[in-house]
Amino acid sequence: MNPICRVGEHLSRRAFLKGAAVTGSGLILPNWGGLAHAKSAAEGATKAKKRCILLWMNGGASQIDTFDMKPGRPTGGPFRPIQSKVTGLQVCEYLPKVAAVADKLAVIRSMQTHSPDHPDGIYHMHTCYKMSERTPHPELGAVIAKFNGDQASDLPTFVRMGSCGNAGSGYLGPAHEPFGLGRDGKLGSFSTPYLADDAEKKRAELFRFVESEFAADHKAEPFESHRTAKERAWRLLRAKTVFDISKEWPAAKERYGDSEFGRGCLMARKLVEAGVPFVEVGQENYDSHADNFVCHKANMQLLDPAYSGLLTDLAERGLLQDTLVVWMGEVGRTPGINNRAGRDHFIRAWTIVLAGGGVKGGQIYGSTDADGKDVKENPVSEGDLFATIYKALGINHRAKHLSGVRPVWLTPEGSQPLQELLG
Amino acid sequence: MSSGTNENRPDDLTTPRRFAVPDLTKPTQSWTLTWDADWVTSVAFIGGTRKVAAGNNRGGILVWDLPEKPGGDAPKPTLRLDGHTNCVSKLASTPDSKTLLSASYDHTVRLWDTAAATTGEEKLVLNAMAIADAERRKNNGAKVPPPMPATVSVVKASEVFDAHKEWVVNLDLTRDGQTVISGDDGGHVIIWDRATKAVQKRWQVKGWAYALALSPDKKQACVGERYPLVFDSGRHAAIKLWNATTGEATTDLSAEFKGMHMAAAAYSLDGKVLAVGRGGESDGPSGIVTLLDPSNGKKIKALAPGHISGLTDIAFHPDGKHLASAGRDTVVRVWEVASGKLVSELGKSRGGQFKDWVHAVSWSTDGAWLAAADMAGSVQMWHFPN
Amino acid sequence: MRRVRTLAIATGILASLLCELRQARAAEDTVRQFIDTELKAGWQKKGITPAPRSPDAEFLRRVYLDLVGTVPTYDETVAFLSDKEPKKREKLIDKLLAEPRFARHQADVWDLVLFGRHPGNIDATRKRDGFKVWLTKQFADGVAYDQLVRELLQGEQPGSELFQVQFRNQPEEATIAVSRIFLGTQLGCAKCHDHPYDKWTQKDFYGMAGFFVRIVVEEATAGNVKTYTIAEKASGEVLFSGAAKDQQPGKKGEPVKPRFLGGTDLAEPPTPKDVKEPAPKAGTKLPKPPFSRKQKLADWVTSTDNPFFAKAVANRVWAQFMGRGIVHPIDDFQSENVPSHPALLTALAERLTAKKFDLKWLIREIVNSEAYQLAGSGAVTDALPKSFERARVRPLIAEEIVLSLRTATAFDLGSKPDEKSLNPDDYFLRHFGEPTNGQGDFQGSLSEHLFWNNAEQVRVFARRKKGNLTDQLLTSTDPWEKRVDRLFLTLLNRPAKPNEIAKFVEFLKSDPKPDARVEDAVWVLLTSSEFRFNH
Repeated sequence: MNPICRVGEHLSRRAFLKGAAVTGSGLILPNWGGLAHAKSAAEGATKAKKRCILLWMNGGASQIDTFDMKPGRPTGGPFRPIQSKVTGLQVCEYLPKVAAVADKLAVIRSMQTHSPDHPDGIYHMHTCYKMSERTPHPELGAVIAKFNGDQASDLPTFVRMGSCGNAGSGYLGPAHEPFGLGRDGKLGSFSTPYLADDAEKKRAELFRFVESEFAADHKAEPFESHRTAKERAWRLLRAKTVFDISKEWPAAKERYGDSEFGRGCLMARKLVEAGVPFVEVGQENYDSHADNFVCHKANMQLLDPAYSGLLTDLAERGLLQDTLVVWMGEVGRTPGINNRAGRDHFIRAWTIVLAGGGVKGGQIYGSTDADGKDVKENPVSEGDLFATIYKALGINHRAKHLSGVRPVWLTPEGSQPLQELLG
Repeated sequence: MSSGTNENRPDDLTTPRRFAVPDLTKPTQSWTLTWDADWVTSVAFIGGTRKVAAGNNRGGILVWDLPEKPGGDAPKPTLRLDGHTNCVSKLASTPDSKTLLSASYDHTVRLWDTAAATTGEEKLVLNAMAIADAERRKNNGAKVPPPMPATVSVVKASEVFDAHKEWVVNLDLTRDGQTVISGDDGGHVIIWDRATKAVQKRWQVKGWAYALALSPDKKQACVGERYPLVFDSGRHAAIKLWNATTGEATTDLSAEFKGMHMAAAAYSLDGKVLAVGRGGESDGPSGIVTLLDPSNGKKIKALAPGHISGLTDIAFHPDGKHLASAGRDTVVRVWEVASGKLVSELGKSRGGQFKDWVHAVSWSTDGAWLAAADMAGSVQMWHFPN
Repeated sequence: MRRVRTLAIATGILASLLCELRQARAAEDTVRQFIDTELKAGWQKKGITPAPRSPDAEFLRRVYLDLVGTVPTYDETVAFLSDKEPKKREKLIDKLLAEPRFARHQADVWDLVLFGRHPGNIDATRKRDGFKVWLTKQFADGVAYDQLVRELLQGEQPGSELFQVQFRNQPEEATIAVSRIFLGTQLGCAKCHDHPYDKWTQKDFYGMAGFFVRIVVEEATAGNVKTYTIAEKASGEVLFSGAAKDQQPGKKGEPVKPRFLGGTDLAEPPTPKDVKEPAPKAGTKLPKPPFSRKQKLADWVTSTDNPFFAKAVANRVWAQFMGRGIVHPIDDFQSENVPSHPALLTALAERLTAKKFDLKWLIREIVNSEAYQLAGSGAVTDALPKSFERARVRPLIAEEIVLSLRTATAFDLGSKPDEKSLNPDDYFLRHFGEPTNGQGDFQGSLSEHLFWNNAEQVRVFARRKKGNLTDQLLTSTDPWEKRVDRLFLTLLNRPAKPNEIAKFVEFLKSDPKPDARVEDAVWVLLTSSEFRFNH
């Protein structure tokens, strides 16, 4: 019998409830009107855990026009490289502020991936599994929410803004589902109570009475899970001022750049600081099959201050060491420039950048050939990348779950963390 | 004034010139001037001479001496102007043919003395890319074409206008050859004196300055702006008329062309018509030329059909009654301005789903020749019989 | 050590003797009695005290939801609770089983089994109105389960084709789904490598895939309506090229003969060498092949000799009402996953086969058992207790939530809603469509509760509207105490307890204008865990 494929071993929901440090009565102490952040036994444990911010370049950013430039080559395009803070690492002239914080970056120039289009690439680069498999794999965010999140927190454990992943929490279930914010950072659907505060409070009190009556002789877990989630929703509604960055924005605007993406990055910083273990911020417009250079030029002008501002801000607050910032999209872009002045999807040799979270900065991992058409050394797969990310965050990349009766692992068999990247 | 029968005084540069108007309904392609090192992105006849200059995506500029009559082998380039280090986005010549202006992504506008001394000769292979490409695919049976060698004299000296700090994406020179308007990706629009390079006026628009034109009387400028984000509320497109003396916007046409990115603008010779053309990767044949009354911004006429996937350039014919438009569909169209009628179509859409572009067009001063800058790596020379 | 083993063997012998004894009795007993005998034996062995018999109110709500997919109305509740007839539960079951709502609800349940919330070929399978109509009719007409499955596999009746449409050009997916749903067998692992702990090999997988490889989903468009036809080619083989890890680009596989799972190769006339497939043309249908693999598979799957079929469905229907399967998870029959009550499963399967796969008969037996009618209260925390010692707790499916909200609040009073508005819309599907994790365990979610709390789509059931529950309570001149009792009887189908009455009366009286208070009270009960689950 093969030990890798056993039925019946699974992390039950009970384990999750224990982790959530729910009180014995089944009712989390109501803190309606109280402080934003729950004090719980789990808090101390999860505070020490690392967090992750994913800057998602939706559509697929061009490696040659950003972090793997090929000046003077036919594939080079009109952008010119500038020297970054790190010897040997040149970046695009339109990323001058990023160049100035390049000592924090670990640039992987040798991504070699397997899903060449958008829905499948987005899925694959959020789950490290192929979409066609039909197993409901969870996104990176859901995994991190599960392992590094505090279910007793007032805030969601998996927050995302803009165009992001398409897999959701998959087999990890609704407890780790993404909580979506608008591109502008506004709260998503159904986050505004229609009752006034005092009416809401009165109604909630009646609900709690009904639940406590029922709970007295109904001990099954689903009931508990239902009311726990209800309390979480209420605490979130109370805590939602965290999502209001209008006060911080005027001062932060200069650093992050006056754009939605810049606001998203500030929000991400604020949320990880408040204990949210995973935040994804999507930046649009990278799918430049036509007019690649104007698209990228415009995008980089938003990316440069937002990305560098985020890293600097995290570092200044002492958060960068425990916050991994991942810069990636679903595909890279072709070295060849097509007759629409565009670059198409490319998965054979492209770039992803990691920073913080214990990743050793100021390094380049892997390389491509002179025209950027192939990986020259150290190809990195989706699984290897995810294994690296999980390892950096203190998560076992081979942790096993069951989807139905099928055992599934966080990363595919054979995935290896890139030790050189981890400090 | 616009009768077209009066003799032109030498200093009258806005009245349409009188000459034997060629038959614009009968275009023939005389030559393809091959230069496949990269996309040919700009083209201009040099004054009233038989010289034509073209610039490419890498910053190269070549000059050809054209035979007087169509036919025979394609002429070879004779001159190379070295100086730019990035895409040449626009070329323009003074009417006296003494100065060629080139705008570039390298942040400069260069001014070339066309009679400057050369600093030596260099050998080129005009179809080097095609050869390299075929060599690569030789195993699959690709036939390697014979090389097309050329020897060019090299000019290295030029004056530099360096007031831009970003890609200079467009430029317009008034017909007297004296005043320049140039614009960049930072949204900076600069009006300057060609002879002294003195900045007369500068202002900044919200987006990037793309379409640019200065009226013959130099009082009005048309600026098409864009910020090329696609799925983002930060995207921006606008077209406005500006008082070129004060740098103040006088008419905002953005509502009329909501969300449309204008790639080209040109005033007619008498300044009574302003033609603007929609660019970008718009869907279908919507790269349309729209004729406006510059005095009030009112729409006169739209010239249909438009260019598939967007328009790139507009050039008024020296007779003042026609204009040519070019687009991302490798087609050049000649239009009669008064009626809005399509007079002729030069070339066909080629390729598959997506076509190469014609980046730019230029008329010879006698109106019998049109040069088109072809992305595929050539200048197409079209002739119209008398 | 040895003594222990001897003892174990002895106990085993004893158990199997007892088991045989019980089986012999089963022939005479009704199945409902046999169920209770078997479960009791299990409790005795493990020293488990089961929950008491459910109160009438609890049974009433449970059986309504399970059989007709909605909570009962106030009138239905009061009538049942005040009925003095000793056999009133049995009578209610018979009444509900005869209702059109029964067919409709079973169609909802099976639609979810057959498609899930994210079926393949989603553009074609997103809207399944035609399929639902067909499926409802099968249950309404009492079509036997083997016939139903045969038709799903054949896809020849209008509406039934959609099951196969979801696997368009994906014979592997069809193989996995058909084996899982109808045969209770997991072949997913064997797609890429020989099954690590079960006997299934890749050859078994691709042998089954051979029955699907020739299926063609033909599409026709009329206006903007697309219709699909399931056709079959006369040729085409599965090519097998070894384990996934050994795959090389360009490696060609060997053709694999179709083989019935765990059985023999399909006896099939040789495909003529020069067989020429007619080129598919728009508007014309492929002719039936001279030899249909699809039909052979349908024959084999539904045959009474099929070793998997009857047990798989008996187990599935059992779990539908009892929570856990006797083999659990229900679609994972294999040597390592032993049934908790083997004799019971065998008996259920045999009797169901003898009853010609009459699912309604089986359902009637299960819900008439004492085991089904145990209370849902008590200290056991498992949602699905392993020995069935307490009623299972399951979240209502989105379809049940929508119907129950409408029923409980008298939303449609005085008007007959069109059939479509009874289906959950996108909002309800998004928030209630998949409330469980990969293991089927319920997980409360933030988004669900933000929806409950703030959505107009929910509020509309609680807000006063002429004739609805809130309006009835507000227009009533009864004392508040009576009105609160009515509130509980209507929404939770039980009388309110004295302290509940006191608390609610206090709440409702706390505002001189009671409209908002009544709305809130309705909302509280609708979003309570007592309402959210069937228990």
